[in-house]
Amino acid sequence: MNAARKPLLIAALLGALLYCLPFALGPYWQQLGLRALQWLTLAIAWNLLAGYCGQVSLGTGAFVGLGAYACALSGNQLDAPIPVQLALAGLVAAGFAALASVALFRLRGLYFTVGTLALAEALRILMVNLRTFGGASGVVLRAATPAFHQLYWLALAIAALAVLLAELLLRSPLSLSLRAVRDDEDVALQMGVRSFRVKFGVFVLAAFLMGLAGGLQALKLGVIEPYGAYGMSWTIDTVAVVIIGGLGTRMGPLLGTLIYVALSEALRNLPELHGAVAGVFLLLAIRFAPRGLWSLVARRPAHG
Amino acid sequence: MALPDSAALLQALVSGLLIGALLALAALGLSLVVGIIRVVNLMHGELVVLGAYAAYALVQLTGLNPLLLAPLAALLVALLGWPIERYILQPVARHGAEAPLLTTFALSIILQNLLVFLVGGDTRALDSGLGARRLGTGAVSAPLIYVIAALVALVVCAAVHVLITRSDFGRRIRASAEQPDDAAVVGVAVRRYYALTFMLAAGVSGLGGALLGMVFSFTPAAGVDYLLTGFAVVVLGGVGSVKGTLLGGLGLGVAESLGATVLGDGYRLFIGLVAFLVFLMLRPQGLFGRRT
Repeated sequence: MNAARKPLLIAALLGALLYCLPFALGPYWQQLGLRALQWLTLAIAWNLLAGYCGQVSLGTGAFVGLGAYACALSGNQLDAPIPVQLALAGLVAAGFAALASVALFRLRGLYFTVGTLALAEALRILMVNLRTFGGASGVVLRAATPAFHQLYWLALAIAALAVLLAELLLRSPLSLSLRAVRDDEDVALQMGVRSFRVKFGVFVLAAFLMGLAGGLQALKLGVIEPYGAYGMSWTIDTVAVVIIGGLGTRMGPLLGTLIYVALSEALRNLPELHGAVAGVFLLLAIRFAPRGLWSLVARRPAHG
Repeated sequence: MALPDSAALLQALVSGLLIGALLALAALGLSLVVGIIRVVNLMHGELVVLGAYAAYALVQLTGLNPLLLAPLAALLVALLGWPIERYILQPVARHGAEAPLLTTFALSIILQNLLVFLVGGDTRALDSGLGARRLGTGAVSAPLIYVIAALVALVVCAAVHVLITRSDFGRRIRASAEQPDDAAVVGVAVRRYYALTFMLAAGVSGLGGALLGMVFSFTPAAGVDYLLTGFAVVVLGGVGSVKGTLLGGLGLGVAESLGATVLGDGYRLFIGLVAFLVFLMLRPQGLFGRRT
């Protein structure tokens, strides 16, 4: 078999297997799978941004929240069907990222990180105070919440889209520009890499995927409010999944998601401790496996 | 949205200056860590919040006034600072700039969730018994506790300024910040001074938190707000300079108070964040001055 086709075949088989899951397993597993696929989507998006392009963003919550609100409001106001709702969720988040990037990419490195955090927090406070979007009490979706297995299939489709887009990007010549910007932006600029365009593109793509995950969250909950939708927990989960799994590795997000799901299930009865334990895992990973657990599993240079 | 009259604006100016002094004290620790150890400390907000909770716990234990217990709360937070810098932050410093940043992010998650686990997520406040008494006359007045807290903040800022610029200890700290290698050659234990700086920063943050807890209510999740407010102060005033931090705090306090008077109290922090983002964009090299 052609070596390049083997991963594709494995991915297709895995996808088919995951597609069949709702036929074999009940709502509990479907919900777990849904959550895992949301984390996987966010992790793939953030890994492109932070792992391959070196832009460590702490603004995941902003794009998830925008996606959730766009999905909910388009359903309520326009009676949009679910695929249109989700597309709008992604596009609104991507549009906001495009606008914000003009300002944010004036900041480099650690300033960019702090800037994204401030932007996400400012957006959350704005949504709490703006009565137009329901204020602190949020928005109730008029349409009935889809069944778990339908949500699960939507999540699978979105995660598959994330995998596909990430693979296309990382297999394209653009992938080299990404890494050049990550490793040394000044050198990259001198070598003729248009670093703003590269960062802009990845930021908007990541925001699009995060918006889709947020739209899914709105459909799942049936009611959204700013504290949850724009919450820091999205940012924390995403960072933890990717760092634990392996920053800047292809399999890192998948491995991280599996570990994170196992962790959250193990601590199901102690939700207060979940965050603390996730933080400890994150701390240990940065210290002892800075390239994540995947680099320990694969035992080869992680920044491939 | 009616434009407030001049008395209301004057009132906002006065409370803005008083709160601003407190914001400066709460941001001073961040300024020291970013300026001297050159770590973007994302757990800064949790140090502030811990100060408030430490004071709360001490009040529960002893029944004394939180104003008397605030120094002890600050000491407790300072003691936590040493092992964090020495045994958690220093070992990852060699992994590049992002590792310490993400480590402080992890620490902030851990502390915040441990607080929720230990004391619950409820909103709490420290009762100094002085909240009801007001100082001033007629149109312009302020609660006594605002005035006392602001005075304490000014005194502590002045003390830290003298410590950093005039003392032998401060000279070694500045040497460790500006020329770590040369400082080590002439016998400054650079790593120890980094840990001591972090301890000082944690203590000052804890004191700021305890005082803020007597003025505003707090929850375990309040850390991110104090972190970002701290960054806003530091960016406005310049890193590592106590004077700059104080001016930044006063400026931000006035801006937030005036903004809250015009737009409504819910926008207080929003105004600070927008000011911060705008300032960052105008001075993208901002935070660290020369070095990035």
